[in-house]
Amino acid sequence: MTDLLTLVVQQSVNGVYLGCLYVMVALGLTLIYGVLNQINFAHADFVTVGAFAAFFTATRFATKALGIPDTGAYLLSLFSALGAGALLGWLVSAAVFAPLRRSGADELRPLIATIGVSVLLENGQLALFGPIPYQFDSPLARETIRLGPIFFSGQSALVVAVSAAAIAALYAFMRFTFLGKALRAVAQDRETAGLMGINENLVIALTIVIASALAGVAGALLGPVVVLTPFTGASLIVKAFAIVIIGGFGNMEGTIIAGLLVGIIEAFTVQYLGSGLIDLVVFAMLLAMLVVRPTGLIAERKEENV
Amino acid sequence: MTFLRAEKLNKSFGGVAAVQNVSLQVPQGAIFALIGPNGAGKSTLLNLLSGIYQPDSGSLLFNQANLIGLRAHERVRLGIARTFQKIRLFKQLTLLENVLAGFHIHQDVPLWKCFLPSSSTRFRAEALELLSFVGLTSRANDRAGALSYGQQRMLEIARALATRPKLFMLDEPAAGLNAAEVDFLLKRLENINKRSITVLVVEHNMDLVMNVAQRVFVMDHGVPIFEGTPREVQANPRVIEAYLGGAIAA
Amino acid sequence: MSLLLVAAAPWLLTTGYWRGILVLCAMNVLLALSLNLVMGYTGQLNLGQSAFFGIGAYVSTILIKSHGWNFWLAALAAILASGFVGLALAAFATRLKGHYLAIASLGFAVITYQVLINWESVTQGVRGIYGILPPVPNTVALFYLVAGIAAAVYLLLDNLVRSPVGDTLRAIREDEISAASLGVNAAIWKAFAFGLGAAIAGLAGVFYPGFVGTLVPDAFGIIESFTMMAMVIVGGMGTMIGPVIGAVVLTFLPELLRGFGELRLMIYGLALTLVVLFMPGGIVQAWMSVRHKTRP
Repeated sequence: MTDLLTLVVQQSVNGVYLGCLYVMVALGLTLIYGVLNQINFAHADFVTVGAFAAFFTATRFATKALGIPDTGAYLLSLFSALGAGALLGWLVSAAVFAPLRRSGADELRPLIATIGVSVLLENGQLALFGPIPYQFDSPLARETIRLGPIFFSGQSALVVAVSAAAIAALYAFMRFTFLGKALRAVAQDRETAGLMGINENLVIALTIVIASALAGVAGALLGPVVVLTPFTGASLIVKAFAIVIIGGFGNMEGTIIAGLLVGIIEAFTVQYLGSGLIDLVVFAMLLAMLVVRPTGLIAERKEENV
Repeated sequence: MTFLRAEKLNKSFGGVAAVQNVSLQVPQGAIFALIGPNGAGKSTLLNLLSGIYQPDSGSLLFNQANLIGLRAHERVRLGIARTFQKIRLFKQLTLLENVLAGFHIHQDVPLWKCFLPSSSTRFRAEALELLSFVGLTSRANDRAGALSYGQQRMLEIARALATRPKLFMLDEPAAGLNAAEVDFLLKRLENINKRSITVLVVEHNMDLVMNVAQRVFVMDHGVPIFEGTPREVQANPRVIEAYLGGAIAA
Repeated sequence: MSLLLVAAAPWLLTTGYWRGILVLCAMNVLLALSLNLVMGYTGQLNLGQSAFFGIGAYVSTILIKSHGWNFWLAALAAILASGFVGLALAAFATRLKGHYLAIASLGFAVITYQVLINWESVTQGVRGIYGILPPVPNTVALFYLVAGIAAAVYLLLDNLVRSPVGDTLRAIREDEISAASLGVNAAIWKAFAFGLGAAIAGLAGVFYPGFVGTLVPDAFGIIESFTMMAMVIVGGMGTMIGPVIGAVVLTFLPELLRGFGELRLMIYGLALTLVVLFMPGGIVQAWMSVRHKTRP
């Protein structure tokens, strides 16, 4: 009996750690949707870029060039992933989102443009790094921590810690700083925010940068846990969308809950059905959600303005 | 003879009642106006009549046919046409193509034939006639998006008429039109009515419909206030109050 | 004139490699045409088209290899199967718009991919199915077969979009609500577009396994859907000749850029992004504006 309980708790713990990773990716997506009403199809590829940035920093730069030992190198790589993500986000914002906004494009074009960026990033990384998986070893992945009968790796602990810190920082930013409040204003009503003197373009660019930085860090945390190829992020993409849809587009709290939920479901699915079927289960959930309640867990029936 | 009969229609959205207990009867061959201040629920009511929404409760009969459960595109085949408050033209298509689209329900080409080359000129003449009715023949091959607002409104009317309706409903057609355009619109509506088409116009500006409508139904906050001839409506104190005591031209 | 060029192509490009590219090009034309019907003419954002390509490939191959069916009957079954599944996707399209449909169709593509990988008893999963023979003995004949079919499909679709059906689909694309106010039953017509588009993609899929010899699920993932979409948009979405141009350009351009190594694959993403940013109507739009300016 306690064996079953132990198993359940263990899987839940695994699920939470997975969930935290997913939340970091999905939060970025939902943030971008919140201010732009657009889905960034390239978001998962930002994750891959972050992972590669972290990889090269940790294994080549930090250790060899600067001689920093393993753990330190890895932690340093988190920052480079953050920077890489932020830089990439800024580039995409300036080169793709901003011009399209200026020319008054409809919903469809930016979406397709981000698909173009996604393909570009994937093939670009394929060209640079090749299709053979990289071995990204994090020193923390080898450490095991025990809490009673529950095991988890140092890496998992780091993931939870970093994501919790990131979410807390994000909340604090949105509530207490001027820019954060400006962000919320733009998300609610872009035109009015602009009329009140908020520089929408700056806020939007900033949001994208933050979201991409989050994705980058998620990549650095993800790298040691999965096979690292140019398509690593892409495998996440539909899960990330599933989370954003289940949580409700633009809804931060919903995304967090949904992310943790998906993580836990995945952990249990792996345990009982094997890893091959995870994607299938999650995507089936996604489709079910889209049919039953497309606006997410917290939905309102609004009158359509015809 | 009552052409359109609605009884005790109710519609709420997320707990807010947009239309409450509305009953109305539109006589055949009339020009019937549905008026009320902004937010009165007129558009919602029109959407209920045209099939974009289904009512929460109540009954709706058109020419003895029960409309409840019928979707919007099915009602068109019964002879109900409408225009929209926010003009919904096919902006990328030409004027002629827009009007031709209205003849869709009269097409009876079997599917397999559509894979073979053909030249469909069947409704062209009638489409051009409709364009001339609204004064837009000269621009038949221009993109609809290139028209002025007033012209787009008239194109929308021409397109709806292509469905050969028996009941034609318009949602705030005069909004955004200048005085000359409104005048033209009202004359067209009278002409349409003379062709035995029953007309139902939703408007929030009372002046416009007073000159044309035979019967007026007034709503406010989703609830009916009064119904009668234009003159009766103008004199009714509750109606005047609903319009915030605003001056109404006699 | 262009038909002559197409017919002469295998004699202009005489190496086995380039003739293979020609076959691939013909298949891409079919795929682009199928996606354009759904996206360009009916306005439905469909990111799952690669699934139907895969269903066509797998159903026909399994019927031939495991059950000894004749190629042409297996092809017919595969086309019907794809079309049928396409109708299922259409059921989502009637309830979802824009972003949601894009994601649902993407999810659908991923689910199909996962089924192909995991249902090993039937599909051999990632191990793949080997030793598949094409229905005709050599590459040139295969090219004429697929190109001929592509030309036929083009003509049929061209007639279709000029017919009242084309008007109906365009009306749904432009404004579903006002289309409904004109009597258009959007649900039925979307189902038609999705089903037909899926069937055509399945048709292309039928020739793919014989062309490559080995069938693995990897050829039918998300990135294939994106590549198809790139072809449609770069060529000119919503026109008939656009997808053809896009397929030809995006099949040959990466080959011509072989000198740049793996970087040439970036052409898909680059072309798509640049076109969407600067010339959303694709090559067709560019061509039209050039003609406009050079007209006296």
